Amino acid sequence: MQTISGPRFAQLFLAQLFTALAVCLLAGCGKSEAPPTAPAAPGKVKTVGVAFETLQTEYWIAGFEAIKAELKKRDITMLEAVADSDASRQLQQVKNFITRGVDGIILVPKDAKTCIPMIRAANEAKIPIVLFNRPADKTDAQFTAVVADNPKLTQETVTYMIEQARKTGTKHKAMVVLGDLGDINAIGRRDGFEAAVKGNESFIEVVARVPSEWNQEKAQAGVANALQANPDISFIFTSSDFLLPSITSALKASGRYKKVGEPGHVILGGFDGDATAYQMLVDGYLDATGVQDVYFEAQASVQALVDRREGRPVAELYLDPGFVIHQGNLKEKAARMWGANIRK
Amino acid sequence: MNRTSRRLLDLAPFLLFVTVLAIFGVQSPKFLESGNLVNIVVQASSTGIVAVGMTFVLLTAGVDLSVGAIMFVAAAVAGKMALAGWPLPIILPVMVAVALMFSACNAFFVTKVRVAAFIVTLATLFIGRGLGLRITETRAMNLPDSFLELGSARWLGVPLPALLFGGVLLVAHLVLTRTPFGRQVFAIGHDVEMAKKAGIRTGRVLAAVYLISGLCAAFAAMVSLGQLGAVSPKFGEQKEFAAIAAAVLGGTSLFGGRGNVFPGTLLGALLIQAIENGLVVVNADPYLYPMITSVVIFISVWLESLRNRTR
Repeated sequence: MQTISGPRFAQLFLAQLFTALAVCLLAGCGKSEAPPTAPAAPGKVKTVGVAFETLQTEYWIAGFEAIKAELKKRDITMLEAVADSDASRQLQQVKNFITRGVDGIILVPKDAKTCIPMIRAANEAKIPIVLFNRPADKTDAQFTAVVADNPKLTQETVTYMIEQARKTGTKHKAMVVLGDLGDINAIGRRDGFEAAVKGNESFIEVVARVPSEWNQEKAQAGVANALQANPDISFIFTSSDFLLPSITSALKASGRYKKVGEPGHVILGGFDGDATAYQMLVDGYLDATGVQDVYFEAQASVQALVDRREGRPVAELYLDPGFVIHQGNLKEKAARMWGANIRK
Repeated sequence: MNRTSRRLLDLAPFLLFVTVLAIFGVQSPKFLESGNLVNIVVQASSTGIVAVGMTFVLLTAGVDLSVGAIMFVAAAVAGKMALAGWPLPIILPVMVAVALMFSACNAFFVTKVRVAAFIVTLATLFIGRGLGLRITETRAMNLPDSFLELGSARWLGVPLPALLFGGVLLVAHLVLTRTPFGRQVFAIGHDVEMAKKAGIRTGRVLAAVYLISGLCAAFAAMVSLGQLGAVSPKFGEQKEFAAIAAAVLGGTSLFGGRGNVFPGTLLGALLIQAIENGLVVVNADPYLYPMITSVVIFISVWLESLRNRTR
């Protein structure tokens, strides 16, 4: 490293301190909070703090917008914060909400463990807290989780794909693209995939399990590697539609990107129901995807806060059953697919 | 430590690479097939190109944490232009210009304001990722097929990404080993005060290495776009760590003054990709990926420290 010496030290130190402060401010960007409000009277929800771990995928944007719309509909003020994948920053944001006297908190945590201190902080302040789309690990802290039934919805989606594979009358080599192994949703989807495949080994042989860490470039490299090693892969499931571009580019590069029904078509399925998946369904390249019902999840999250505040009984867990959308029911189900709506 | 041991330690990156190839080759014959080996080079190209730029910076005892963010902004601008109908011959130079603008900022603050490179490039990392998200509006952009055609194109049978990686590597190797500028880079990394006393204009050399790093980030973004055909909000994320790992695995010292792009950084980039490829080929348990990669990096750094002790 360069050495800093002599009378310039103080000047340089100040310059670095200033820059470090700027970095901290930048790191916190993406937050815009309303002016402080007085704590709401018991029994009435006036202000809700919404803390998202990230807004880096279309799903989180859609969830954020759905919550915003739901709160607006009920005339509730929303304070917002985005932690940019930093759990300690998110804890600070939750504490800020508490200090500002919110009546409820909706949280998308980074993972299942780091959110427990946030839940405890809300519990101590007697502020109801709802975990949106990502549950916490087992804890004695009190919270409500509204989550997609990841294993079940994945199992249903993959079961549909297996039915399509069965119709071909041949055995298929399969690849599954996994999410971040530290994300409980990714694990649920992996388990759902394995459960669907179990018992169907005579039709499906899983030859590649590609971890993506929710990173498109890693996924693209992994899928290209798997297709190189197993050129006869004909069945691919991705744990998130967000990774579909990685799969399509690798399939295109190997000349395997074919529509449903065309010779050489790779049976392709996903999870989430984003805009890319919708377009691929319309264009006939995607067989099926498990759609998370983001509108249900937003409505259930806000309702849970209101019910808790007004003294009505609230369950610990609300499961979004979601639904499988495929070539056969596309027209019927598209209106409930959030990806179809943001494409409009 | 005798001469043979020292020689073996000097060859450590190469021996480690050969060992990894041998282990996966025994596990699955498919791994050593020519098609798969070419695939490893192609998949390593993007990280390898960034790592070449990073090697220049590390050789001066600096660091550039902003390369992934620079890739993201350049790709986001390219994506917007492509969707608006601009042709590739205009988009590609614009990507270079965007990357050079960011790296010029890094160079200015490191050399003129004398802020530590770690702090400056951390700031540009956040600025870049924020700006990229703003440009993309956090939406994935699926680009026209012309990008994918570029990524899968071949010239004289050689895939274009590998060709670009080879070209960058060759130029960087010649610059570092055959030019006064290359010797000045090493001199600054050894001892910046001594380099100043020797009459080297350290500010200019340091500025140049950050610009080189930015330029490499632009080329890497082109390769990634060509392979992916899309810009996602996570484009280029953590590329800086992969690049640093590739350079260090190739024997470049984090303390500056020692290292090379050929064969060092080349082997580092290939080693990382070979491990990931091998794990997919043998259908390994996904939980093993980080563990195995970490063990290889640990062994490499341990060998590096042994090598340092012998000097």
